[in-house]
Amino acid sequence: MIIGRMGFIILAGFLLLSFLFALFHMIPGDPAVLLAGDNASKDVIESIRGAYGFDRPLYVQYGTYMSHVVLGDFGVSNYSRQPVLGIVLSRVLNTAQLATLAMIFAVVVSLTLGSLSATFWGSSLDKTVTVGSLVGICLPVFVTGIAGIYFFGVYLEWLPIAGMASWANYVLPVITLGTYQAAIFTRMVRSCMIDALGKEFVITARAKGVAEWRIVLTHALPNAFLPIITLFGLGFGHTLGGSVVIESIFNWPGLGRLMVESVLTRDLPIIQASIFFFAIIFITLNMLVDILYTWFDPRISY
Amino acid sequence: MEFLRSFSRDRVGLFFAFVLLALFAVALTAQWITPSDPFRISLRQGMRPPSWANWLGTDQFGRDVLSRVILATQVTTKIALASILFAVALGVPLGMFVGYRGGMWDAVAMRITDIMLIFPIILLAIVIVVVAGPSEQGVIIALGLSQMPQFIRVARGVTLSAKEELYVEAAIAAGASWPGILWRHIWPNISTPIIVQATLTLPVFVLNTAALSYLGLGVQPPTPEWGQMLNEAKEVLTSAPYLIIGPSIALFLFVLSANLVGDTLQETLNPKLKGRRQAMMGLRRFGAKTPAERASEQKGTP
Repeated sequence: MIIGRMGFIILAGFLLLSFLFALFHMIPGDPAVLLAGDNASKDVIESIRGAYGFDRPLYVQYGTYMSHVVLGDFGVSNYSRQPVLGIVLSRVLNTAQLATLAMIFAVVVSLTLGSLSATFWGSSLDKTVTVGSLVGICLPVFVTGIAGIYFFGVYLEWLPIAGMASWANYVLPVITLGTYQAAIFTRMVRSCMIDALGKEFVITARAKGVAEWRIVLTHALPNAFLPIITLFGLGFGHTLGGSVVIESIFNWPGLGRLMVESVLTRDLPIIQASIFFFAIIFITLNMLVDILYTWFDPRISY
Repeated sequence: MEFLRSFSRDRVGLFFAFVLLALFAVALTAQWITPSDPFRISLRQGMRPPSWANWLGTDQFGRDVLSRVILATQVTTKIALASILFAVALGVPLGMFVGYRGGMWDAVAMRITDIMLIFPIILLAIVIVVVAGPSEQGVIIALGLSQMPQFIRVARGVTLSAKEELYVEAAIAAGASWPGILWRHIWPNISTPIIVQATLTLPVFVLNTAALSYLGLGVQPPTPEWGQMLNEAKEVLTSAPYLIIGPSIALFLFVLSANLVGDTLQETLNPKLKGRRQAMMGLRRFGAKTPAERASEQKGTP
């Protein structure tokens, strides 16, 4: 099964790259002129056209690009002239760090708050958590991020606000992104737990006289786990999506900021490769969720 | 009438429905109610703190922030509504078609929507912005396309259950053509769930419009948009922190009221979902399926 899935990832990656290649060649404008700059002479443009093979038919260009990609060569950046793969891979790690830490924060917070809220359903604690998570969902990261920068970075001068030089640089981006995801997760963990706590085995456990905390932790939580696993798996993908904005706010040298910058400078080789890597990460995550599913619930098979 | 009565039973929902209507009213009349010209630059009056003359202060170019927030309401509403129309116009006919024809059409369409829903909106949007260019039109196409799968799914689901109805069978027996059946007999079932889905999509679109504009990939200056205003405000955060207040509050209010109205609508129009609604609602936004749904799809039962 896993081998079949790997095959699917490779196929999906191949299709995606072909799609991006086709799409980006539909963009109006001459790529040679873009590379040469606005003031370049005709000769320069022509020689660039020849050197990059823009004058050859599209299927030849496509074949060249794809055969290079297979060997790990995604071309060179239009601006820095560095190989794209090196640039992108160094950024992938930074983004992965940010997203993973934010995800851990969000999982811990949401499991705690969601379970507490469901256990004390209808109490003032529950209401506070529910309203809090609703407010969190409606505050995008660029609002909370900028507010955090002002309060902790500018006003209190406690934390650095840009870059990733020391551990202190991680605090604001991770918590900003983590809080937003936690707000989304908490709502769902809460409702999954309320669902699980209403099941008959919980009534049986209560009748047996099992302690309430034990019911919540060992009876309800494992049974609420299936939807929660889906949620976290897909949520991880969305955390990565959120990191695109976070990285721009906090000048984090990650894949998301690279992508946005290269869109603004129209550095197509970089855009193509970074979208490709982002997409492969999402597809892999989704696959992992599916595998976890069958592991947690043997009744389901693919 | 019945609908209004049960909708108004939810006090919170009712209140925020009025807030949303008020925001729409502001959007409709924006040109006439701005206290001063939102585009007039006067560097000598730059970065004034909130005062009686400029309730939310002036930005670094001396433009009145309140006027810009008001005009941005119109810009955002326009983009969000246009994107919804775009997604509905593409997604609903497609969903009805694949739902009615079934078979290979259905399988292919579901595979593609599955894959599209894995990716966060922001990533799809960036791909489309690369092609369409950073502009309002680019945002509309990007958001519309990215949420189209949700509308395909809703329309398909309704069609699947409606086509089993006796009146459809009777229409087939009477020799009606399939476009006729779709239009005359299935379409009337679809409007309500589509309205619910559109309302639930509204806050998503508003948030993503702001996020794209914050990144410089959406609405371009000097046209005001909340995310783009926040981006400009961040540049002068140390000297004029009050500039982030206006756009943040407007964005928060819009998203909060749209979210609450969407939830209330769903509850009112779809009482069957009550209780289970919350558990699944969040997951649906991620485009996920419940384990049960996956299992039943495996067996081939709808």
